[in-house]
Amino acid sequence: MKSTAHIIAAFIRRDFLAERSYRLSFALGALATLANLAVFYFIGRLFGGALAPQLEPYGAGYFTYVFTAMAFFGYIGTGAGSYAGRLRLEQTQGTLEATLSTPLGVLPFLAAMSAWNFLFATFELVVYALAGIFVFNLDFSAANWPAAALVFMLSAACFAALGILSSCFVVLFKRGNPLAWVLNNFEGLLGGVYFPVAVLPAWLLAVSNLLPVTYAVRAFQLAVHRGAGLAAIGPDLLILAAFDIVLIPASVWLFSLSVNRARKAGTLGEY
Amino acid sequence: MISKRRPGSQFHPPFTAETGYEPDFAFPIPFTLCYHSSMKFEARGLVKVFPAPVFSGGSPLRALGGLDIEAGPGVLGVEGPNGSGKTTLFKTLAGIIEPDGGTILAGGVASGAERLRELAAYCPSNPRAFYFRLSAAENLRFFGALAGLSAVQALERARQLADKLELSAADLERRFDRLSEGNMQKVSLIRSFSRRPPLLLLDEPFRGLDADSQQGLMELIKEAGRDSAVIISSHSPELLREAAGRIITMEGGKIKNGE
Repeated sequence: MKSTAHIIAAFIRRDFLAERSYRLSFALGALATLANLAVFYFIGRLFGGALAPQLEPYGAGYFTYVFTAMAFFGYIGTGAGSYAGRLRLEQTQGTLEATLSTPLGVLPFLAAMSAWNFLFATFELVVYALAGIFVFNLDFSAANWPAAALVFMLSAACFAALGILSSCFVVLFKRGNPLAWVLNNFEGLLGGVYFPVAVLPAWLLAVSNLLPVTYAVRAFQLAVHRGAGLAAIGPDLLILAAFDIVLIPASVWLFSLSVNRARKAGTLGEY
Repeated sequence: MISKRRPGSQFHPPFTAETGYEPDFAFPIPFTLCYHSSMKFEARGLVKVFPAPVFSGGSPLRALGGLDIEAGPGVLGVEGPNGSGKTTLFKTLAGIIEPDGGTILAGGVASGAERLRELAAYCPSNPRAFYFRLSAAENLRFFGALAGLSAVQALERARQLADKLELSAADLERRFDRLSEGNMQKVSLIRSFSRRPPLLLLDEPFRGLDADSQQGLMELIKEAGRDSAVIISSHSPELLREAAGRIITMEGGKIKNGE
């Protein structure tokens, strides 16, 4: 346990120092987040305060809905995207083989690899929350925070597992990652991040029901805006837990297999 | 000739109940890594075949063809033409790539890649496998942590080794991408030496070093060879013979006949 904490701290320090050395990129990233929010704010103003029928279950206007979903998805999506991204970066800068030449085990490596991304995403989440309350005057007084936190944990673990699965493609094929393609292009569209999935046609709704993000966003919105408790969001939580039970061990196992295969083929240092 | 510039071994004395030598790792690692500093390594019938890329139309590359080798405290030199399998041998012994056949024994015990990564440190011939936006010292601190060293240990060892290799304190604090190629090589050497492993694998360690630094490295290799198995490769026969007590020649993935 102590050793894993030591490793995670070393990765966070490394990534912080590297990130700090690109100051302009750091500032532009923060500005991009604000610009994104502004787009949805003005879309919300265009359509006024009236609730669309599909938003009624959440008791929130369009901007409130999309703001909450983006803040939430921004954090849990970190797990989905950062593993493959980090691994690819290590490959291209030639440090992956050096890192995996040490006694470092797969579990501490996976725990540490995206630690900085999660830390930074937490910071962004706090910025979102402060902006929501003090700039956009959003009302979160009805929120059931313990239930929201539970959704948050189950969802973050599930998306981290998807991210680890996605990084297996990077280890084996270097470029060309079908899972990352699906996660990047369809999770937001079909998972209810930008609009409730109720607006989708029936056949797309069926696809949407296969994605964990659908359950995660719905449960989180209900917990935050309706104060929904375990009774109301229990089925969504159970489905998220089932995804976790399957995906977490499977992703770690498949990642170990991928690394071992790359060692066997001698391609660990290739990019 | 090697000058005796600085006294004192960089390496641990062997563990005995009398010396009470204790491991200085920041967290528990399998005890053999800390205590078996006088370990013998043997490879028997080592085979490594790299498959051709799928649909490339190429043929597999047999990099190691049933190679036998023994190393055990002391310095073993490996020479051979380009493509003779030296780097593949080093990476296999370091547990970075897995062999397709044969056995590697560490202290008489058959050891897989995971175990070998605990026991061996590999210094590649290309010294650029570092984080370019971080200083040399920060890089060494990071890789030290992966090997179980505390920040204090990693930086203290880095300073000692930098001194031996004529790498200035300013260069140690300089961003890695602003170092010369020779200084990058010194940082790469420091990363491997600072682990004080039972098996030290140095692939072309003299590359890019000036004469004084070569002498410093020669001293470090001799010191390491007192307790550890050190295997080095070089295309300079003079340097290899000065550094190593025993030399083998590789050709076509095998040890050349008669050695």
